[in-house]
Amino acid sequence: MIQLRRVSKSYTAFAHASVVLRDVTLDIPTGQFVAIMGPSGSGKSTLLNLIGCLDTPDSGTYELFGQHVDQMSEDQLSMIRLRRIGFVFQSFNLIPRYTALHNVELPMIYARVDPAARTRRAQRALELVGLSQKLAHKPSQLSGGQQQRIAIARALVNDPAIIVADEPTGSLDSTTGHEIMHLFRRMHAAGKTIVMVTHEADIAAYAQRILYVKDGRVSEGVLR
Amino acid sequence: MTTGASISVGLVRDAFAQALFALRENKTRTALSVLGIAVGIVAVIILGVVTKGVREKVFAEIESYGLQSFWIYRNQNVADPNADVRRGSGIDNDDLEAIRLGCCPAVKHVSPRVYFTEWNVLARAGNRFTRILLEGVDAPFLEISKDELDDGRNFRPTDIEQRRPVAIVGSNVQKQLFPERSSAVGQSFRYEDMKFTIIGVLKEKNREFLKSIGAAETYNINDHVMIPYTLHQQMLASKDVHTMAGEAVDKASIQTAAEQVVDLLNRHHFGRYQYTTETMEAWSATADRILTNISLVGVIAASISLLVGGIGIMNIMTTSVVERTREIGIRKAIGAQKHDILTQFLMESVFISTIGGIIGLVVGMALAYGLTVWSKLDVMPSFLVISIALLVSMGVGVASGYYPARRAASLQPVQALRHD
Ligand SMILES: Nc1ncnc2c1ncn2[C@@H]1O[C@H](COP(=O)(O)OP(=O)(O)OP(=O)(O)O)[C@@H](O)[C@H]1O
Ligand SMILES: [Mg+2]
Repeated sequence: MIQLRRVSKSYTAFAHASVVLRDVTLDIPTGQFVAIMGPSGSGKSTLLNLIGCLDTPDSGTYELFGQHVDQMSEDQLSMIRLRRIGFVFQSFNLIPRYTALHNVELPMIYARVDPAARTRRAQRALELVGLSQKLAHKPSQLSGGQQQRIAIARALVNDPAIIVADEPTGSLDSTTGHEIMHLFRRMHAAGKTIVMVTHEADIAAYAQRILYVKDGRVSEGVLR
Repeated sequence: MTTGASISVGLVRDAFAQALFALRENKTRTALSVLGIAVGIVAVIILGVVTKGVREKVFAEIESYGLQSFWIYRNQNVADPNADVRRGSGIDNDDLEAIRLGCCPAVKHVSPRVYFTEWNVLARAGNRFTRILLEGVDAPFLEISKDELDDGRNFRPTDIEQRRPVAIVGSNVQKQLFPERSSAVGQSFRYEDMKFTIIGVLKEKNREFLKSIGAAETYNINDHVMIPYTLHQQMLASKDVHTMAGEAVDKASIQTAAEQVVDLLNRHHFGRYQYTTETMEAWSATADRILTNISLVGVIAASISLLVGGIGIMNIMTTSVVERTREIGIRKAIGAQKHDILTQFLMESVFISTIGGIIGLVVGMALAYGLTVWSKLDVMPSFLVISIALLVSMGVGVASGYYPARRAASLQPVQALRHD
């Protein structure tokens, strides 16, 4: 379902163009749990952002659900992210002024879900990640693990097919990280396609498949 | 499941909360912008009140004295070496008769006004006294001066011919002499050794604005007592007419009518006198000039303060967009489209400016209320003026929020997320 063909991406900084991804060709079938590993600065986040439709390739093609993402307008990409993709970030990326419930409602606000259904669905999503007692808390009143659970609830609430996660356990201690991975395992079991960047081998071990990014190229890794 | 209204409910609540947040966060800056908008809206309301309310009322007041009417009297020149010229009013019954016979075609009708040089005299009824302005007039006078009878009747030809001691009194006279009666018609009062029967009472007439731009205080029609001019001439033992009050056949020919009368007077009196012509047109011109000046000051004040407020809001919004770059990135990652972000920031700036607008509206209404109580002219802003004021404040919000909101909407999600 995710098909990248000869995708390249480079950044220009200080009038100096550096190629981050070179001719990457990659297929990820529906329902697969993939971990992306590699040295710092190798382009893992860049690749993940392309897969998550946050960014577009400089060259090459990207087909998602049979649609050519590389030719889409910004608003069309927004629609894809809204309906098909859920994001989980290392730094949680919650809106600090909003309560847990409000943060989870946000994607449904943009999806024009009516208020009553919105609240109901947000409450259920928070229940699923074990936070039904913290609906009215602001992110600053919660632990890192709890914040990441809110972010996962928010990623799931519009029922996307793909979960894209950039170092979801990177800011958490090991125990909490494994708790979060249990949630990922459940999402995977529920049929979600998961693409996750991580530095930690024991976290990558939750995935079915490992990709290594190095010098702008992607190679298949081995499960250890 | 999905409704169009739900987005607005969620986003409006959000924008409102965010606007209040901005108010708290950057107190001084927001307060100054809100103040600018508020002052601007007060100016807009004053402008609206002046152009709509006051203008209408002032012109109604001026018109209530007759836009077709003119008053002609002799210039008093006590220093003239010619003794003949020093005396005399320069107008007499023969002039009147000539006009009545139609020698001035632009004139519809005329009435003499006969009074003392000192026309502020005492009238008595029972044990009550009041100062009255006693003058002798003819029946058309009421129409010329656009006076209406509250009760009773106008003079009849026989009242004039037979010099009957009957009087039409102003509303003040009725209030002072017969406070306990609903109408003074049929009652009588004394002036010196004469007794007059009241046949009519005039409706009260407004004079606030004319007085405020310099019309004579003594002219107050509400103190008037009118009696047949023939009787008054007999009392004064003179055939002098002090003022010729007339009405032109229509508004356009008022100058012609007055000129025809002055020509006639010059012919009859061999050019011995100089005459002054007064029309309400002169007063309307003065009023128009004053009101236009007020409006102009209002437009300038409104524009300057709205501009200051608008720039302030633009500044707040620009800062807010920069400070919330990461938040914008999050919203975009989640799936917000450009127009979602655009409306969010636009609503915020519109909220801030509308808060200013509402404050301005409240202050403006309070000022208008104060002015209404003080001046006795009802100058409360109309629904239209209130709507315009609110729309203007919202418009300033849109105008000043548009550029920052556009910037926010066009941020690249990946770049915005890297911002901290
Ligand atoms: N917006 C950008 N502008 C300029 N250079 C960028 C930008 N985004 C990424 N880069 C550069 O591209 C390269 C790859 O960045 P990327 O974030 O994909 O690395 P990463 O593998 O995720 O690293 P890490 O493990 O540290 O998160 C880096 O050298 C980075 O400096
Ligand atoms: Mg990274």
